[in-house]
Formats: sequence, C-alpha cells, structure tokens
Amino acid sequence: MAFSPDFMLWLALAPFAAALIAPWLVGRIGGRAGWVLALVPAILFVAFASLLPAVANGVTFAYGVEWAPSLGVRYSHFIDGLSLTFALLVTGIGTFIVVYAGGYLSGHGHHGRFLSFLFLFMGSMLGLVVADDLISLFIFYELTSITSFLLIGFDHERSAARRAALQALIVTGSGGLALFAGLVLMRLASGEASVSALLATPDVLREAPAYTAIFVLVCLGAFTKSAQVPFHSWLPNAMEAPTPVSAYLHSATMVKAGVFVLMRFAPVLGDTALWGTVLPLFGGATFLTGVILGIRQTDLKQILAYTTVASLGLLVMLTGIGTEYALAGAVFYLLAHALFKGGLFMVSGAIDHETGTRDITVLGGLITKMPITFLAALLGCLSMAGLPPLVGFVAKEVLYDGLWEVGGVSVATIVAVIGNALMFAIAGAVMLPFLRRPGALPKKPHEAPPALWLGPIVLGGVALGGALLLDDFTHLLVAPMTGAVAGAAVELHPHLIPTGLYPPVILTLVTIGVGLVLFILLSVLRRAVAGLLTAIGWGPDKGFDQVIAGIVRGSVAVTKVVQPGSMQSYVTATFLAIALALLLPLGADGLPDLRYVGSTPEAFYFVILAVAVGGLWIVIRAKTRLIAIVSLGVQGTMVALIFMLYGAPDLSFTQFMVETLSVVILALVMTRLDLKASDHRAGPVATRDGVVAIACGLGFTLLLLNVVQQPFDPRLSEFFLDHAYDIAHGRNVVNVILVDFRALDTLGESAVVMAAGLAILVLIRMVPAVTRRIAAPDPTGTKGEGRA
Amino acid sequence: MQMRREQVLPALLGFIALLLPTAAFAAIAVPHGNGPAMLTEPTRYAAWLTVAPIVLPIIGSALTLAFRHKIAWQANIAFGAMFLATVSAVFLNIVVLSHGPLLLAAGNWLPPFGIIIAVDVLGALLVLVTCLVGFIGLSYARCDVDHEGASFGFYTFYCLLIAGVCGSFATGDIFNLYVWFEVFLVSSFGMIVFGGERIQMDGAVKYGVLNLIATTIFLIAVGALYGFTGTLNMADIRHVLAETEGAPVVTVGALFVLAFAMKAAAFPLHFWLPASYHTPRIVVGALFAGLLTKVGIYSLMRVMIMLFGDKGTMFLPLIGWVGVATAVLAALGALAQTNLRRLAAFLVISGVGVMMIGIGLDTAEGLTGAIVYAVHSILVMTALFLVIGVVERLTGDADLTIGSNVYARYGLAAGLFLIFGLAVSGLPPFSGFWPKLMLVQASLAGSGALALAGAVGVILSGLLTTIAIGRAWVLVFLRPRDGSENGHVAVGAPRAMAAPLVALAILVVALGLLPTIVIAPAQSGAAGLLDPTVYLQRVQDME
Amino acid sequence: MSTLIFRTVAPYLSALMILFSVFVLLRGHNEPGGGFIGGLIAASAIAIYGIAYGVETVRRAMYIHPNSLAGFGLLIGALSGVAAIFAGEPLFTGLWWIPVVGGVEIPLSTVMTFDIGVYLVVVGSLSSIALTLEETD
Repeated sequence: MAFSPDFMLWLALAPFAAALIAPWLVGRIGGRAGWVLALVPAILFVAFASLLPAVANGVTFAYGVEWAPSLGVRYSHFIDGLSLTFALLVTGIGTFIVVYAGGYLSGHGHHGRFLSFLFLFMGSMLGLVVADDLISLFIFYELTSITSFLLIGFDHERSAARRAALQALIVTGSGGLALFAGLVLMRLASGEASVSALLATPDVLREAPAYTAIFVLVCLGAFTKSAQVPFHSWLPNAMEAPTPVSAYLHSATMVKAGVFVLMRFAPVLGDTALWGTVLPLFGGATFLTGVILGIRQTDLKQILAYTTVASLGLLVMLTGIGTEYALAGAVFYLLAHALFKGGLFMVSGAIDHETGTRDITVLGGLITKMPITFLAALLGCLSMAGLPPLVGFVAKEVLYDGLWEVGGVSVATIVAVIGNALMFAIAGAVMLPFLRRPGALPKKPHEAPPALWLGPIVLGGVALGGALLLDDFTHLLVAPMTGAVAGAAVELHPHLIPTGLYPPVILTLVTIGVGLVLFILLSVLRRAVAGLLTAIGWGPDKGFDQVIAGIVRGSVAVTKVVQPGSMQSYVTATFLAIALALLLPLGADGLPDLRYVGSTPEAFYFVILAVAVGGLWIVIRAKTRLIAIVSLGVQGTMVALIFMLYGAPDLSFTQFMVETLSVVILALVMTRLDLKASDHRAGPVATRDGVVAIACGLGFTLLLLNVVQQPFDPRLSEFFLDHAYDIAHGRNVVNVILVDFRALDTLGESAVVMAAGLAILVLIRMVPAVTRRIAAPDPTGTKGEGRA
Repeated sequence: MQMRREQVLPALLGFIALLLPTAAFAAIAVPHGNGPAMLTEPTRYAAWLTVAPIVLPIIGSALTLAFRHKIAWQANIAFGAMFLATVSAVFLNIVVLSHGPLLLAAGNWLPPFGIIIAVDVLGALLVLVTCLVGFIGLSYARCDVDHEGASFGFYTFYCLLIAGVCGSFATGDIFNLYVWFEVFLVSSFGMIVFGGERIQMDGAVKYGVLNLIATTIFLIAVGALYGFTGTLNMADIRHVLAETEGAPVVTVGALFVLAFAMKAAAFPLHFWLPASYHTPRIVVGALFAGLLTKVGIYSLMRVMIMLFGDKGTMFLPLIGWVGVATAVLAALGALAQTNLRRLAAFLVISGVGVMMIGIGLDTAEGLTGAIVYAVHSILVMTALFLVIGVVERLTGDADLTIGSNVYARYGLAAGLFLIFGLAVSGLPPFSGFWPKLMLVQASLAGSGALALAGAVGVILSGLLTTIAIGRAWVLVFLRPRDGSENGHVAVGAPRAMAAPLVALAILVVALGLLPTIVIAPAQSGAAGLLDPTVYLQRVQDME
Repeated sequence: MSTLIFRTVAPYLSALMILFSVFVLLRGHNEPGGGFIGGLIAASAIAIYGIAYGVETVRRAMYIHPNSLAGFGLLIGALSGVAAIFAGEPLFTGLWWIPVVGGVEIPLSTVMTFDIGVYLVVVGSLSSIALTLEETD
C-alpha cells in the first residue's frame, strides 16, 4: 500500500465517524455491531503496521494540513518509533476491545452510546499519539480526559461510578490545563509549533529561561494522567467503569498518555538534573505505593488497577533515569504491560460476566470450567510476573540491565526488585480463581463466549510470540521506539535465554525468590497493609474529596461576600466606585481653577437655586416617601425654570411636563409597592451613605467645573443654527435637531418610550398564569434573590 | 428552523406592502436641498445594509405592538423581521469583509454633524452573531411563549432588544450608542418583568436600578466628553482627543470604563447580573446571557481603545486586573451555586472577566482573543441557558440537589448540555478552546505581573468552570431520581425545541473545528480598533 | 376627584388639550413645540378624561388600544426614515413635497410624518401608563 499522508490524516479520524454511526448500527444489528465496528481499528492497525519497516529503518514521517493558520496550528501527524508503536497499541488492542465490548454489553440499554463513547476515546487517543502539532496534541490529550469521563461514569446509576468519573475529569482535566500552559510556553520559548520541529532543535528548551516552568507544567500534566503519587487515586476508582473500559484505558491508552507525553518530550526536556531527579523520585514512590496497595485488594479489577499504578510508576522512573538501557527497559515493559494488562482486565471481566463476582477469596476452580480463559490468564500472569518465555520477562531483564549499568545496587535497583517481587506475588494471586478449590459462586460458571476470550488470547499470544521472535520484535518495535525516546538511534540485542550469570540474572532470581515468599505470605501481608491503612486513616483519595468540598465551601463563602443579596450594599458599592472613578483621576486631570467665574448671574438665579437646594434638603429629611417624591419634583421644576431663563422654551416646557408626569406616576407606583412608608437607616449606615453621596456630588461638581473651563468647540451648534432653515426647512432648531439632524436618536428614544409604556402594562397587568418553576433557595443565603 | 414556508411568505409580503405607501410618497417628494454640507454622491444602496439589522427589528417591534390583538401574527412578524435582519447581516459581513468599513450618514448629514452608522469588521461580526442568536432564540421562544405572553408584547420587546444591541454594535456616534443602550435596557426591563412573578420583581428592581445607574454614568460621560471635544462622532472624537490637552480626559475615561464595566457585569459592579438572570423566562435569560454583557465589552473596546487611542492605554491594566478578579471570582461563584440557572449566570460573568483580560493585555493578540471569545460567549451562553430551560421543562428541576437522570431519559438534552458546558469551560474541540488558547498565548508572550495573572486567570477560571460543569453533569444529569423533589412539575418539551439547540450546537462545534471563520474577522476587527486608519479615512471621505 | 365640576369640565378640557396638542405638534418645526411635547399634552388630556369618567369610558372612546397607538407611531416614525431609500438617499433624509392649494404652500415632508410618529408613541405610551395605573386603583 502506497503511503499517502492525506489519506492517513483522514483515516486517523475514522473512529470519530464510527462513533457517529455506532448507535445507529447497534439499533440495526444489535450485539453483532461490535464485530463490524472492530473493522475500523483493525484497518487503522494495518495501515499503521505498513509503516513499520520504514520506521524501523530510521525513517520518520511528518505531514499535515493547516487548521488555524493565523495561530500557527496545524492538524498534523509525526510518525516515528514512539508514535507508531503507540498507534499500533491503540488500534490493535482497540480492535479486541470493541469486539469484547460488543459481547460484554450486548443487550444493555445504552450499548450504542457506549460504543460511541469508546470510539470517541479511541479517536482522541490515536490523535494524541500521532500528533505533531503541539496544540493538536493538547486538544486530543484533553479529549481523552473528556471521553474517559463519559466512559467511567457510564454506569451512572451507581454513585461510586459518578464520583469516579468526576474525580478523573477533575484530576486529569486540571493536569491537562497545566500541560496546556506548558505547551504554550514551549511554543513561545522555542518558536516552534510542532514535535518534529522541536526534535530537530533539541537544546532550545533546555536552555530556555522558562525551562523550569515548562518542566513543572508538563510533569503536572503527565503525572495526573499517568496516576503518579499523589494523584493516583482516580485510577483505581475508575474501575467503576465497565470492564472493557478498564481494559482499554488502563492497559494501553489513557493512563499511558502521561508516560507518552514524558517520552515524547524526553529528547527536548530530559537529560537535566531536574528531570533525572523528579521523575525517578515520583516514579519510584508510585511503583512501591501501587504494589503495596495492590496486595491489599481482593477484587480482581482493583488488584489489576493498583498494579497498573505501579507499572506506570516504574515507567516514569525509567524514563527519568534516561539511559539507553533504562529506556529500552521502559519500552519493553510498556509493551509487555499493555499486552498483559489488557488481557488480564478482559479476563477479569469474563470471570465477572460468567460467575457474577470478582472476589479472589471467593472464586475458585475455574481452570476446568473456563479453560480457554485460564490459558489467557496464564499467559498474562506469566508476563506480569516476569517469567519466561514472555515479553514481560525480557522487559525485566533489560530494565535490570539498565538499572545495574547506572548504579549497581542503587535505591532504584532495590525499589525495582521489591516492586517486581510484589508484582510476582500479585500475579500469583490473580491466578488463584483458576487454581483454588471451587467454592460457592453467585452464578454457575461456564466458558465465556468467543468475543470475551478472543482478545486476551491474542494479546497473550503476541506477548509469547514477541519473546520467541525477540530479534524481530526488538528491531521493529522496541529499538525504533527507544531511539525516539532517547533522541538518537540505538542498538539493542536482548536475549530471551540468559547467556551467563550476569548481575541482572541474579536480580531476577532474587526477585522470583522473594516473590514466592511474598506469595505464600499473601494473606498476612494483606491484613498488615489493611491494618496500616486503617491506622493512617487518610489517603489522597479522601484528600480529593476534602479538596473539592473545601473549594465548594470556599466558593460559597466568597460568593456570600461578593454577592451579598441586599440591594443597599449593591447601591453603596456602586456609588463608592463612582466616587472613586470621579475623584482618583483628579490626580492626573488636576483640580479646576476655582477662581473661574463665568458671566455674573442675576439675583433671581440664586432664588431658583435656593428653592432647588431647599427641595433637595426636604428630599433628604422627608419623613415619608411621598413627600420626598414631590420635593424631587420641585427640584426638577427649578431646572425647567433655568432652561426657560436661558432661552430654551422647548426644553423647559418638556422638562415641566416630564417632571409633572413623573411625580404623578411615581406617586401612583408608590401606592402599589409595599415599601415601608419611610426610610430608616441606622446612624452609621446613614453616615456612610452620606459620605459616599457627598463624594459623588463633589466629584461630579469638579468634573463639570473642569469641563466648562475648557473652550467649547461650537462647530456642531453653529452648523445646526446655520443650516436648520436653509437645508432642513425648519426655524425651530431644537425640533429640527430632533426630527432631522439626529432623527435616528429620536427613533431610538421613541422606541424606548413605547417599550416603557408596554413594560408598565406588563408589570401591573400580567399575573402569573400558572405557578412556574421558581429557582431553588440559594446556598449562599443571598437574601431575596431567588426566594419566592 | 421552525418557520414553515407558508409563514415566511406572508411576513415578507406584509413588509413589502407596508413599504408601498412610503414608496409612493418618496416618488412625489424631493430630498431637501443640497447645501455645502450635503453628500453629493448618490448613496450606495449597500450602505443600507448597515441599518437594516437595526431598522427591521424596530419595524418588527412596532408592527407586533400595533397589531397586538392579532396573537397569531406576533411570532410571524418577529420571525419575518429577524429573518430579514439576519440575511442583511450576512450580506453586511460580505461587503465589510471585502470592502472595509461601511458607512451610512443618517439624514444625509455629513459627519461630524449628523449621526453616522459605521460598521467595521468587528461591528459586522457582532451584528451577525446577534442576529443569528436572535433568530435562533425566536424559534425557541415560539415554543415557550404562550398566547398570554404574545398578547402582552413579548415579541415587541424581543425585536427591540435585538435592534438595540445591533444598533450599539453598528453606530459610529457616541450619543447614538447611548440611545441604543437605552433601547435595549428598556426592552430588557420589559422582558425581565415578563410573567409577573414575585421573584422576578426582586430581580427586576436590582436589574433596573443598577443598570439605570450605569447608563446614566455613560450619559454623563458623553456629556462631559462633548463639553470639551464639541463632537459626538466617534471618528471625530478620536481626532480631537488625540490633540486634547488640559481637559479632564482621565476622569471621563474612568467614567466610561466604570459604565461599560458595569454593563458588562465586571467585578465589583456585577451584582445586578446574578441577582436577576435566573428569574425571567429562560429564553429571556438566554438572550441576556448571550448579548447584554457583550455590549459592555464591545463598548469598552470601541471607546477605550479606538476612541481614546493613546490616552486609553492607561486604563488597560486596570481593565486587565479587574478581568482577572472577575474571571476567577465568578467561576468560584458558579461553583457555589446549586441551581443551574444561577450557575450559568455566574459563568456569564466569568467569561466577561476572560474578555477583559484580553483587552487588558494591550496587544493585538489579546484583543483578537477577546473578540473571538465574545462571539463564542454569545452563542454558547445563550445555548446553555436554553438547554437548562429544556431540562427544567423535561424534569421539573435543574438543581444540583436533585438528580434528574436526564442522561438516561433524555439523551439529546443531556448531550447538548455537555457540549455547551464543555464549550463554556474552554475545552476542545468546541468554540471556547480557541479564544482561551489565544488569550493564554497572548498573556504568556507578554511580561509583567498582569501577563502572568492573565494566563493564570484564564486557565484557573477554565478549571473551576470545568469542575462546576462536571459536578452539574454528575449530580443532575447522571444521578437517578432519588425521591427528593421540589414540587415542580415537568411540563415536557415539544420536539420543535430541539431545533434551535441543535442549530446552536452545530455552530459551537463548527467554530471549534473551523476556528478560522471567526479568528480571521476577529483579527481584522482587532487591527481595526488598534489602528483605525481605514475607518477614519472612510469617515473623512464622507466629509 | 370626580366632583361634578370636574366631570363637567373634563370633556371640554380634554378636547381642547388634544386640539392644542395637535397644534403644538404641527407648528413644531418652526415654533416651539413638536411631537414629543404635543404627545405629552395629549396624554395628559387622556389621563384627565380617565380620572373624570373612568378608564373604561376612555378606552371605548379611544377605539384603539393606547399601546397599539404607540406601535403605529413607531411604525410611522421608522417608515418615515426608510422612505428615503426610494429616493436613493440614506436613512432619514428628509423628503419634501410642497403642493400649492389655493395659493397656499402646504409643506409636507417625511420629517413631519416622523414627528407625527413620535407624537403617537408618546400619546400611546403615556396614556397607557396613566390608564393602567388609574384602572387598578
């Protein structure tokens, strides 16, 4: 098949198209839809697999189209060893997951919706791993958070599932936003917009002043997504999702997205003291936490979930160490983990489906009842325990190689040995349902349908085949991917069968020995860990709830302050702002020249002014509101008089009419409002309001004085006077302004008058016909706002 | 939409019939004499596109009221008017994008003496989105507003509100801008009391009084500005202000900032919005949430950046810091709410903060981001309110304390809420992501405390919004009914209500997938504000 | 309020005021007056009549609902502005037609019709407000 970039760009979006048709297809052909839809990832797998030989020979592909050219954002792919391997995992495991989901949820009321979400997630994950452009990378990254939110909350009737979904969204979503800031900083610091361009100039970020910020932000994104301590608790909780989701999200995809991001940027951000310290620290802590917490569990899915946390920690640790062999170990382990964890999750789902329980202390005797499932489980557990002849074994050998090469018996080595020994013990525990004596089960078990065992068998087979054909496996997948993470081509020659008693082999033997002991002591350990955790009584999971509850409580407290609910405080705050807006700028504008006097006014102006001020005084002192309204009218009438004296009869007349009507209307309105007859404010409140009012008044006065001191530009008034008659045929300039020069304003104002008349009608006449919904009481306790 | 052909035709014919008498008059009359101040060139009919989205809804509102007893006509008239307005807005955009700012001198009075309507790319873009939302909202209103509502003039207010908002975006005269502020203020007041419930009165008083204060401050600022510039024409004001010395420019600028920030509901002048938006009919709240605050934001851009020019720069950091506070505090406010309407109201304010951050950055990128965000916010806030209305109709409640199981029972409504909610949160691949990207990038590209605070503000408000929306999804949509009820009855939602929501969802997704259709005009709009040479030249050419 | 004297005077007073309001409206372009102030006077007249004879009587006498009147007013105002399009002029360009009837020039214009529109809006809206408030008392 000839390689066509455009074709690949569109093909990678095929899962989104599948998401659209999935509900329809399920409606048409029901449970068989899974088999049909699985063709989509299968075709994608083949398409990506066809690039393997070229990539193995060091070729990379970068292609794309403009998306938002003005922002320099493209929809583009970058195919190298890392992205190709991930793409194969996403599509390959995805194929079996779709088949599996078709069988697992067959007959579920929302089967179509589920497949739709699953495909949305698949498309997002695929888009993420092949993304070249940094912003598209983020877009797909965040999409995986959103779609996994939908998937985890799928069993929405259980409150634990809802909580888990929200937790996943908040933890991974906030990490995503950190990554977002990190990516934007990368763009700004490097001037490059894509992964391929960054890789071509590897040192630019390490030397940038923003390096530390970028590093911290990217780590926050990756650690939340890949469930590193202390952000790990969303991952086990996400087991509330239906098993196909767990199998997919927690093997090859969602949780590996963080590791993927770290590996993707390792060549440009790695190889610094910060990178080499922080990553192994968090990774190692996560590794140990994961296995210790995993021991405690008895639910198959929970066990697998905690070992996933552990594996992610191991991967982050190795990525942080960053030597060639450490990275090769990480890559081997990542592949092995994707294969065995995907398979084992599907196995646990099959057991649950057939027996009705996932509790390993109850289950037993399944080796005879479910032989094919047993075979699948065996392959998975061998790989997980790091036993030959599976890829998991090779992975462990290589990573021990890497760790030994760096520091011999170092902290990291000891952590790895302890962790792997625990992993070994847990793998044994996972086999218990098959090997123990049969017990009483909720359902009578029998072999699962093909849709449920096909996936694990094939994945186990690949893990076996990969180890048997180790050279090809290394050449096609591991070496190119390791090279991509290391930033330079690598030569790898791992062996399935040890050629001698090297330190790594000794470490392996130690691991197996310790693991066996731990396995025998399993129930003791379980009790010990459980007791310890009960003694501590607090964990990040509880912490999450506390944080969210704290944020909500804090929000309520803040909102009570910023939206207190009383009109008085709103008005006071508003006028305070007005006073500040008037008075503060005086520093820049300067005070008006108080010596400024215009033409000397005649005596009767002072009379009018005195009456107006007297009216105001009565407004303030009025015992009842009615008196206040009438006195306000006095005020307005005096203004009308001033208009008259300045030779504006139109204006004056209008002002008279408006004042009269508004007094009448206000008085009429007063009769319908059940206000207190007068306004009683406590002394301090009255003082405060008085100060604000005086400040506003002072501000307006100073502004006006400042304005009138400016020379007035009479262009407009002269024009209006000059042309009112000769062009507009009117001698009354005021009227000509209203109906001709500025007729558009008048049109707007008449619309205002019209609407005001109607609004009053509505206000008084319209009574609620039926009791409509009334907003519920407000937790912030804002008075009135929302009380019926 | 919902409008069937047999309804469009009578509406169109009605309009044409109404124009006939005026045409007859025009045929026998002559325009007033040509003096020195008159334009001599015949006006291009294209210029009428600038006023069509204002005048058509005004005629629509006049007609609905004139024939208020013809209940059946009401919605059709409004539809006809909004349809024609939307079509003209589309053509307006085509013309403005290809030919630059389009001007019309009302009454043929040459600037600065008369009023000009001057639509640049920014104005045209916002006019178009306003008309679109108005048109789409109308098809929702048609299902929601009963006979009684129609007879009390719901559609009159509706059309007038759109006219006022379009007028604000289109005008080139600052007093005229004030007039349009009043038009949409009064019509919005009519809408907020519409229904006559007690809770509405409380909201209406706070809304009315506080907005009236803001509008009055605006008027006072215009008066003072006129006092020392002697002009009301925006282009002219820019010229005069650039050379003004000694006048109280800073005080007047502060008053403008205050008035517009209050109209935009920026902290700490936001009180009126959370006090009122949840009280009226949902379609009213939706229209308010989409449009009203954006007029404040637009005016801030137009006046403080274009009119004040260099003298406005000193206010931008203030606007930016206010934006940071608004974005974060309002997102916290959203988290504190249990009622979805109230939650959405706080999200409106949070968005206002984000836009103000963009303005405050004082760069073309920041301004572009703010404009794109405005377009996104108009669409998505309207949509979010409408979908909450649908949920209320379907289940009786939309409250975090009551599980409604919308997810299982009404998949479409749940899906639409999720789309709009995620878009509000700024998550990809929806319309909200791109402006946030632009704003974060513009912030981080800058230096200084505000640049950092801006980026943090945008991201933090996005995170808090995501949490709020996520909680709403989990607690209201996923959670099954658990017996606790508020005593509200589900009234059901007609199928036809889905159409406007799906239309908005398509727009929101389209803007997420093809952001360039908004980014390109927004860039040119921002450039036009920062360097209005072409605009000024066009106005000059009229003189 | 409804004393006998008031009830006797009110119809005449109202009629006179309305006549005066029309006069104020029409002379407005050249002398103090105009649509807005004319409308205020007419609205007061209607309010007075309403106080004297009750709102029902006024509503019957007006034939048309006051809010509809306001609607028509705005319509006339808007169309007066739009008329210019048929003369190829921009919105609100004043169009004049001055026929000579019996040697007297009668200036008719869109500016005048616009003012009439304003008058109707003011009359309609304010009388609607007044009547609504009076009615429920």
